[in-house]
Amino acid sequence: MSALQPFRLPSGGLIDRSRMLRFRFDGDEATGFAGDTLASALLAKGTRIVGRSFKYHRPRGILSAGSEEPNALVELRSDARREPNTKATTIELYEGLEARSQNRWPSLKFDVLAINSLLSPIFVAGFYYKTFMWPSSCWEKLYEPIIRRAAGLGRAAGASDPDRYEHAYAFCDVLVIGAGPAGLAAALVAACSGARVIICDEDFCFGGRLLAERRDMGGTPGHVWTRRVVDELTSLPDVRVMPRTTVFGVYDGGTYGALERVADHLPAPLPYQPRQRLWKIVAKRAVLATGAIERPIVFGGNDRPGIMLASAIRSYINRFAVVPGGRIAIFTNTDDGWHTAFDLAKVGIKVPAIIDSRPAVSPQLAAQASRATRILTGSQVVATKGRNALRAVTVRTPHGTKEIEVDSLGVSGGWDPAVHLCCHRGGRPVWNDAIAAFVPGSLSKGLMVAGAANGMLTLAACLFEGVRVGAEATQAAGFTAKSIDLPKAEDEASAATPLWHVTRSKGKVTRSKGKAFVDFQNDVTADDVALAEREGFRSVEHLKRYTTLGMATDQGKTANVNGLAIVAASTGRSVAETGTTIFRPPYTPVAIGALAGPHRGEGFRPARLTPSHAWAEEQNAVFVETGLWLRAQYFPRTGDRDWLEIVNREVRSVRSAVGFCDVSTLGKIDVQGPDAALFLDRLYINNWSTLAVGKARYGAMLREDGFVMDDGTTSRLSDDRFFMTTTTANAAKVFQHMEFCHQVLWPELDVQFVSVTDQWAQYSVAGPRARDVLAGIVDARFDISNEAFPYLAAAELAALGGIPARVFRISFSGELAYEIAVPARFGDALARTLMEVGARFGIAPYGTETLGVMRIEKGHVAGNEIDGRTTARDLGLAKLMSTRKDYIGRIMSNRSALLDPDRPTLTGFKPADKSARLRAGAHFVPVDGPASADNDQGVMTSVAFSPTLGHWIGLGLLTSGPERIGGRVRAVDPVRNNDVEVEICAPCFVDPQGERLRG
Amino acid sequence: MAKLDVTPCSALQGLAIPGRYGAANGGPGVLLSERADLAFAAVMVRKGAGEALTRRVRAVFGLDLPTTSRRAARGSLAFVWAGPGHWLAVTEGGDGSSFEKLLRHDLSNLASISDQSDGWAVVRIGGVRARDALAKGVPVDLNPRVFTAGDAAITTVGHIGVHLWQLDEAPTYEFAVLRSYTAAFWRWLIDSAAEFGAAVKGPS
Repeated sequence: MSALQPFRLPSGGLIDRSRMLRFRFDGDEATGFAGDTLASALLAKGTRIVGRSFKYHRPRGILSAGSEEPNALVELRSDARREPNTKATTIELYEGLEARSQNRWPSLKFDVLAINSLLSPIFVAGFYYKTFMWPSSCWEKLYEPIIRRAAGLGRAAGASDPDRYEHAYAFCDVLVIGAGPAGLAAALVAACSGARVIICDEDFCFGGRLLAERRDMGGTPGHVWTRRVVDELTSLPDVRVMPRTTVFGVYDGGTYGALERVADHLPAPLPYQPRQRLWKIVAKRAVLATGAIERPIVFGGNDRPGIMLASAIRSYINRFAVVPGGRIAIFTNTDDGWHTAFDLAKVGIKVPAIIDSRPAVSPQLAAQASRATRILTGSQVVATKGRNALRAVTVRTPHGTKEIEVDSLGVSGGWDPAVHLCCHRGGRPVWNDAIAAFVPGSLSKGLMVAGAANGMLTLAACLFEGVRVGAEATQAAGFTAKSIDLPKAEDEASAATPLWHVTRSKGKVTRSKGKAFVDFQNDVTADDVALAEREGFRSVEHLKRYTTLGMATDQGKTANVNGLAIVAASTGRSVAETGTTIFRPPYTPVAIGALAGPHRGEGFRPARLTPSHAWAEEQNAVFVETGLWLRAQYFPRTGDRDWLEIVNREVRSVRSAVGFCDVSTLGKIDVQGPDAALFLDRLYINNWSTLAVGKARYGAMLREDGFVMDDGTTSRLSDDRFFMTTTTANAAKVFQHMEFCHQVLWPELDVQFVSVTDQWAQYSVAGPRARDVLAGIVDARFDISNEAFPYLAAAELAALGGIPARVFRISFSGELAYEIAVPARFGDALARTLMEVGARFGIAPYGTETLGVMRIEKGHVAGNEIDGRTTARDLGLAKLMSTRKDYIGRIMSNRSALLDPDRPTLTGFKPADKSARLRAGAHFVPVDGPASADNDQGVMTSVAFSPTLGHWIGLGLLTSGPERIGGRVRAVDPVRNNDVEVEICAPCFVDPQGERLRG
Repeated sequence: MAKLDVTPCSALQGLAIPGRYGAANGGPGVLLSERADLAFAAVMVRKGAGEALTRRVRAVFGLDLPTTSRRAARGSLAFVWAGPGHWLAVTEGGDGSSFEKLLRHDLSNLASISDQSDGWAVVRIGGVRARDALAKGVPVDLNPRVFTAGDAAITTVGHIGVHLWQLDEAPTYEFAVLRSYTAAFWRWLIDSAAEFGAAVKGPS
């Protein structure tokens, strides 16, 4: 044993001694070998305390050798890559690894908050509920911050994660979850039978317990057999072998969630490598071969560093060639615990005693024990000693109490099948008396269980069941299962009699002293469980939530069954009668980064770009997100002081000369077929059958409930073809609505429609010189004079020299305006040509802000007004509502409440003091009344500074607004402390007669 | 009037710049190129005209309209199933407007036709690691046991709608994405292919 790794055995183990790795724990340098976990390397170094507990800040060591670990949680890596609550038992050692203990201050060995342990009488079950009830005002400012500081484990990085996370999909016939003996056998059968197989294991090495046990399989060690099987699986087509991959959840339709830790075993991911990959695996059949988890025994002082699961000790000896101590006793109620003593003896470690709670064990078993080991049957550990780590155990034997000096204790309380994934779709585990543990109950479709996960606790049974279930899954997936050769393995001794809790007996001497922990991670003791039961929390679901038993990040993998058994005992019921809580995804914690995958930052959601995007970027446009679209918001120029100055300039340029704006984002739908007009008649409140070919019309449509859904301009291109537009925001919703109406309501209509939003680049060209500009764009043979092409004309023609185009004479700004559409590939060219052709007319591009200002000046409603709560009448669109036909929403729009003349209705507003600023969201109240909810008369929906008028203007919904024009109200915005008297006016501030747009 | 300089801009212009992306060791695992030479039209059957349309397509174009998610091709023309009674007609070369006119003429009164040539951007994806790269976003089983040449699928890739089909067993796929989503899709594609090394060719 070297000085650096004093607890490393001189030979053996599945580690690569030729590759020494340096790492740091709490700043101290140490070494380990390739193939180590952080836990095994720490044990080799002789580290006993690895962390402090959650509530009492008690020193804790390493309990297990797997993902069930409740104690040894560390902060891994540093800076932006810092990852709290990482289990030392699953961290694969790498060169330069840095980890720190958690939940301690100022140091691991001396922790100030360990005083909590002395205060433990007040930190009992339900402590938060009892203590922080009153006064409630203290909760937010006092209690919660203190609790948050004191509790919790580890610290988040507090910086953006520098690594990439990927999502991926996989499909297979048979998914095997767990690569121990049962899983390997099942996978081999399925793969050899030609099925597509995926086999996952959370460990970086396949083999499960075969890596941890000295078992002979047909003349070779288990790990050698494992390697052969893995080699064979890898050589077969359509078999995916996935180490470092945890199947964490079972979902509907044979879907399984898995997390592959692609680069967690490296200091940093390699170039182009993600740190982790979240897999969605769809499997025809899945074989659950997740093994079993050893259960500790609940006794006083059972959390002292040095106390470990007996099976974990075997893992450390046999797989990692590490011993956790020099004098190791075993406390067991199972034959399995004895094997740890035998394995320790084989590597020359003293086992002073095997303490077995059973009155007797089989002579064959006892005969295998070393002569130096005292065998104490009918005995129990009742207390432990040691300051920061175990020094001695107190044992109650039938002949009195003894103290035995030890530095470690292996505890074996029986095995709990890892049934977790069986519960994810609602299955409830059932109690099995033979092994005194829960086994899977009803299984969700497609899921089968094999091996220790199904309560088969011997190697021979695991192999046999693995083959059998693997064959069954293979057949069920549609293949003929082939037989495979399996090595012989003998059934080892596995008898057990459960011992749930070493209780205090009535005698004075024989008490279990000190806290007896059930849930190590959440610091829940046997007393807490008993107290909760006394306080009436008898249902296991209540007990769980009251005590927080099983609610830590380990979901009580080593705690739940002991907790249930203690409740059962104190209520005089069996465990089966007491029932069990169930497990939910994820099996082990999954980083949020992995769930987000590529969908963060710019990739959070896809950005849709308009055909003029690159051109707009060249023009220094500032972009705004509208739904998924990025639209030019405004176009700054050098010297602009602020956005308002820019927008004022853009508005003036349109109103005095000409401007253009990319409106490609509007939803565009090509509606065709003999019944196209009839279809539109039923969708919109106004009439379409009467629209002449070559004409455009404004329309509004309602939802079934009578409220306005959307509006837009639709043009008739031919008898049976319309070009419909929707608002940008509602494009998808309107299309979906149309599909519903056609497929479900009126399948008899002969109408076809398809989105052409992306097909056409469309620009609004607006302003007194718009026609002059357009004349230079549209091919000369087309006459767009006012006479030939009046307001609301629509035409298919050619532009830019023979390119198919569509021109609509419609106006959102109130100016003489056209919308011109060309195939999207010419969108960029059209923007550039508009600039070129328009230069001598003073053209300037404008963005969505200017679009908004001009529509408010003109009194057009938009999303602020069509907010799902307004009717056509509210918006001043009553005239459009046809009385000669039926349409969606007609009946419901006539509900009496919607006909109430007092409903807030679209009205315009100007500040009485022209220098005052208006605020959208302000509520209207009478000029001389209090600003109270009782006096509320409506709301300001849109405001803008009108450069045309030189003051702020607003649109709003005011009770009986149109009848009150000329009057005044106050617009009160308590949020921004704004209270402005406003004049009520018609909702149109510019060219109310519409002379400009017809000019 | 002065002659206007009107240069069409393909959907992946400025994105699919030819060259090597991602891992540079070994041959590229993924081959990418834009299909800028395709014209598309939506073909939507008129009410009750299903059988007549099938007969007409067979008579005029010599191919059977697929009724499942498949692509039927003959020469430079293909019909890809796009939903019940709905196909995406694809042709190499030719402009969208003429393609729409041609189909409107040949399938008169049996289907509504809508030019989609500028609505879809198409990326050709091939290479020995194409399936591995695509698995990072395509929720469809592309294993050759399940999905072969002539198969098509309508699905989403990271919130982006795609219409994809397989051309040959190499394998070669074509992914059609709505034009406005091209940059987002390309970003996903290049990121996903990076670890296998990607080679981008100029558009065809």
